Amino acid sequence: MKRVLSTTVALLVVLTMVLTACGPTPTPEKITVRETVTVKETVTVKETVTVKETVTVKETVQVPVVVTAVPEKPTEVVYPRNETIYVSGAAWGPASTWNPFQPGSLANTTGTIGFVYEFLFAFDPQTGKVTPWLAESGKWTNATTYDVILRKGLTWSDGKPLTAADVKFTFELSQKNAALWFSPLWTYLTGVTAADETHLTFTFKDPLYQEWDNYLYNLPIVPKHLWESKTAEETNSGANEKPVGSGAYLYDTRGEDRNVWVRNENWWGIAVFGKPAPKRIVDIRFSSNNVALGAVIKGDIDLSNNFLPGVATLAKAGYVKTYFADAPFMLSANTAVLFLNTTKKPMDDAKFRRALAFAIDVPSIVNIAYAQLVKAASPTGLLPSLSRFDDAAVLAKLGYSFDTAKAKQMLAAAGYKDTNGDKFVEAPDGSAFALEVTCPFGWSDWMAAIDIIASSAQAAGINIKAVTPDYGAWNTALQGGTFDMTLNNWASMSNTPWTLYNLLFRHPIQEQMQSGNFGRYNNKAVFDLVDALAKVPTTDEAGMKAACAKIQEAMLTDMPMIPLWYNGLWAQFSESAWTNWPTEKSTSPTLPTTWSGYWQLGGLMTLINLKPVQ
Amino acid sequence: MTKQKKKNEFLYFALRNKKLRVALSVVLFFLVLAFVGPVLAHNAPFAYVNPMGAEPPSAKYWFGTTFFGQDVFAQFVHGLRATFLVGALAGGLGTLIGILVGFTAGYRGGIVDEILNVLTNIVLVIPTLAVLLIIAAYLQVRSIPMECIFIGFTAWPWAARAIRAQTFSLRAREFVDLARLSGMKDRKLILTEIAPNMLSYLVMTFILQFGGAILNAATLDFIGLGPTNAVSLGLMMQYSVLWGALQLGSWWWFIPPGLAIMAIVGALYVMNVGLDEVFNPKLREM
Amino acid sequence: MRRYFGRKILIYGLTFILAATIDWMIPRFMPGDPIANVMARIGAVVNPAAAQAMRDYYTHIFGLDLPMWQQYVNFWNSLLHGDLGISIYLFPTPVTTVLMRAVPYDLFLLIPSILLSWYAGNKFGAFAARSKWLDNTVSPIGYILTATPYMWLGILLAWLFGIVLGWFPIAGAYGFNLRPHLSWTFIWDVLHHWFLPFMSLFLVGFGGQAIGMRNMIIYELEADYSHYLEALGAPRRLVRKYAFRNAMLPQITGLALSLGVVVAGALVTEVVFSYPGIGYLLLAAIQNQDYFLIQGCFLFIIIGVLVANFIIDVTYVIIDPRTRRGMTGETA
Repeated sequence: MKRVLSTTVALLVVLTMVLTACGPTPTPEKITVRETVTVKETVTVKETVTVKETVTVKETVQVPVVVTAVPEKPTEVVYPRNETIYVSGAAWGPASTWNPFQPGSLANTTGTIGFVYEFLFAFDPQTGKVTPWLAESGKWTNATTYDVILRKGLTWSDGKPLTAADVKFTFELSQKNAALWFSPLWTYLTGVTAADETHLTFTFKDPLYQEWDNYLYNLPIVPKHLWESKTAEETNSGANEKPVGSGAYLYDTRGEDRNVWVRNENWWGIAVFGKPAPKRIVDIRFSSNNVALGAVIKGDIDLSNNFLPGVATLAKAGYVKTYFADAPFMLSANTAVLFLNTTKKPMDDAKFRRALAFAIDVPSIVNIAYAQLVKAASPTGLLPSLSRFDDAAVLAKLGYSFDTAKAKQMLAAAGYKDTNGDKFVEAPDGSAFALEVTCPFGWSDWMAAIDIIASSAQAAGINIKAVTPDYGAWNTALQGGTFDMTLNNWASMSNTPWTLYNLLFRHPIQEQMQSGNFGRYNNKAVFDLVDALAKVPTTDEAGMKAACAKIQEAMLTDMPMIPLWYNGLWAQFSESAWTNWPTEKSTSPTLPTTWSGYWQLGGLMTLINLKPVQ
Repeated sequence: MTKQKKKNEFLYFALRNKKLRVALSVVLFFLVLAFVGPVLAHNAPFAYVNPMGAEPPSAKYWFGTTFFGQDVFAQFVHGLRATFLVGALAGGLGTLIGILVGFTAGYRGGIVDEILNVLTNIVLVIPTLAVLLIIAAYLQVRSIPMECIFIGFTAWPWAARAIRAQTFSLRAREFVDLARLSGMKDRKLILTEIAPNMLSYLVMTFILQFGGAILNAATLDFIGLGPTNAVSLGLMMQYSVLWGALQLGSWWWFIPPGLAIMAIVGALYVMNVGLDEVFNPKLREM
Repeated sequence: MRRYFGRKILIYGLTFILAATIDWMIPRFMPGDPIANVMARIGAVVNPAAAQAMRDYYTHIFGLDLPMWQQYVNFWNSLLHGDLGISIYLFPTPVTTVLMRAVPYDLFLLIPSILLSWYAGNKFGAFAARSKWLDNTVSPIGYILTATPYMWLGILLAWLFGIVLGWFPIAGAYGFNLRPHLSWTFIWDVLHHWFLPFMSLFLVGFGGQAIGMRNMIIYELEADYSHYLEALGAPRRLVRKYAFRNAMLPQITGLALSLGVVVAGALVTEVVFSYPGIGYLLLAAIQNQDYFLIQGCFLFIIIGVLVANFIIDVTYVIIDPRTRRGMTGETA
């Protein structure tokens, strides 16, 4: 009996392993190797398993040729180290959609927007310049007309040419489908006409110049010949598997925890911008940041865009390199703003809000929670790259900084006193209040930050507790306006200060606030100021500064939200396989990031500039 | 054997049993530490006392400091308290439910037994983690009492099964039949005849539940279902992992909590075996 | 026998319906609005008209605009067709696809570790019961292993063998430089990634099994029949053989129980070793309030659990004659 049992168990184990190995994934692939070799004295053919034909191709000079056949994707099964780059920090779940208009594209299949689909323009946040990408040039011919000239020789990855018809089609998609995110554009865009293959004219009525620039580098262009036959459902929410775009990379394969992109050898941009160095990009999803940290220490990753604790220590010890060699080590990517729910007491009192701004210990957040990986934010909320729009006079008069004593003073002056001896102040009408500052559970750096916010507020006498609900619950509270105070950092690098103020003072106030003004601050005067800013042409810096000054004055007087610190563009890279990463010392540094929405901000250029270690 | 003599006999063997002695002293040591420690440790567990951040154990900070400069020893002793509390409460709750269910099933038999059996089997087999994940998503507030209730309500099947089996065998013994024949009421029978014989068994069951509850709580804390704004050994492990303690070299933040749990739970299990030997003469090593 | 099994099947059927109903109810009464969640991921929806249109659209796709009873009926209908709905978190992938992709990893990890730890643990437990010397060496190891918090052990293993010594990888089911294909390189790589998570599960399971088996055998060796056999002059080996057989009964129950729970995945293992699987998906689904994925995972688990329960009952009938006698009416 025992022997039967033991053999059965052994057989079961083996059987299980074999069965599950032969499961739906992985699927065995026939290995056909087609070698591209340069003609020299000797032709070396590496290990061939099943070789149909050995093709010898000469290295040719780049001649812009309209390729009519779909380029054959390489099907290596083992990726050579010097051709592959391993990145992480962008994806947080398995890939589910490659639809550039779909939210999933942003979160999980980073790369669809930027690798596969491209934009009319690119933007360099460090210089503030919007540079032509698919377009060759674009300018306002008069106050309501914008002309775009496309480059010649643009192609889609299936060989068809990219023309003005595709661009027109893309813009008009949201006119037909109100559900697409860029449909509000049509409230001031009246029409798009394609004069010929490369000339486009956009006509407006009362254009929002600031927002238009945003569309220029954020709206991915899709091929008309593939998308015109899609139904509304497919356009809005289809998965768009096997995406066809104009970009530098093609979709190769994916797994539960990785997305693999392969270089498009026929990319039109090779002649214009250069060839991206890595042939393959493997975008890895780790279960948590500390596993990423382990992988970085092991040297398994080339670029990690995760928030890794203790990076300062690692950088100093030489494990990784960062953009800055010293504090804050990271570029500032977006502003972390504390939104106060102005519909709840006592946050409906501007004096209370201002006192709170002085009570928060931002230096501790910077030094302790982040161990100097971030910088304190300007009270206006604008990122360093837009600091020229900070109004010095307003800041001098209304700026805030960490000062517990002053906070206590302001509270007292506003009528907040501790009447019942519990060490916390009560409202002027005598009622006690207990507030919660929230962030999603698991966002470790924010969890540490709200701990500090709570404790420093308590030190000033304000009863605030730090609470960390799950992401779903937190998000619902955020959009439904049921939170007390919470953090948000959607105000990221942009070419205009308008995007920040559009986020902060989003209007009109709706039941669900999904894209800003989560604290539901309702002030028509400020809304008008933001709308006025939107209408200022982007070339009129003086006008923009004046508009910003007015907004900042209103914002800092009322303090409906409190900008606290600049979240970093987390980037740690290793030079073991790839060098020439952008750092502060580079001549024209780009952004070392794989985050979605940043490829057109310099992420792709970083890949083009990389060099493999020989 | 009279009750007094029996007790003396147990005590005699208990003190001579090496396993019991060693295990009991380990548990007592940590228990004392849990009581006395927070008084010894001057710092609050979450206070940022060390501006230098993470530092290895030294004379000033016995267990070193965390990434944020918090006193690990302070966190440790406060965490011990929470861990013991959860273990006792959750273990107690689990034992209680197990007694109720197991005893009723064993004593009554028949259809009652069938139903309770099915209930026990289902709760036994359902992966508690999955259920707790879902339940926890409902309850926004997570506190120590909540955690105890979670664990207690999912760990009882083991106790119930064991107690049911024991009750079965006791019920079939002659002295119970005799007591029934002599007209004793059910309740009195249970309290005076069966319960004392099961007492030793119940104690051992409680110890097992206690140990299991501590492990369970540590897992829940680690995943993030633990109490918010509290400190326990499991939570210490969670924070240290979140902040890359091992990878950054701060082993003193991660290792002590796990080691302590291992020691306490291991000692509890060994204590169980030792008690088994004490109560069950057949197992005693002479 | 037929009546016995008939009753069992009836009970299981009822349990399944009840459990599936609870499963259907639980996600729907969870706090939070999943549609708002889906919409949130879209980002900037400025146009109020567009927001409403999108909201209506998604509500319709997920069938949440139907009355509750109709949703319930649809649920059973699709269930019988193997359709568990569409995931919200991984929109627009169907739940069944998501689960099917993740389950093999769990099976691959858990089944060998459960079987091997059971086998090795029982063997060692039986050893330990043989002599006091063995008992004093094997038992402490067993106790330490079973008392170790699993994630603590897993993380230490990953750190020691993965980072400090660098012998094993610490993330993924197969190398990031590989594409799944049939070759020794790939198979070796998969095993290489599999080893640490497997080892951590094995060690903890082993400890528990060894201790359990040892205790059971010692009980049996002290039972009356053992003494009787010894008194009759039977060799130690024969006595131990019978003791072993009797001790195995609860162990087999335990094995069936563990196997039934396999489909629940090993959440902690997946988090610690960044190994793909259902556990991680379930956690992510809950954090993202994905109704349908939670429902699907849980249904999987329920089915696995009921099947395991049934197997336990069948096994017990086969191996324990007392159960068979009980069926014919004799008391236990």
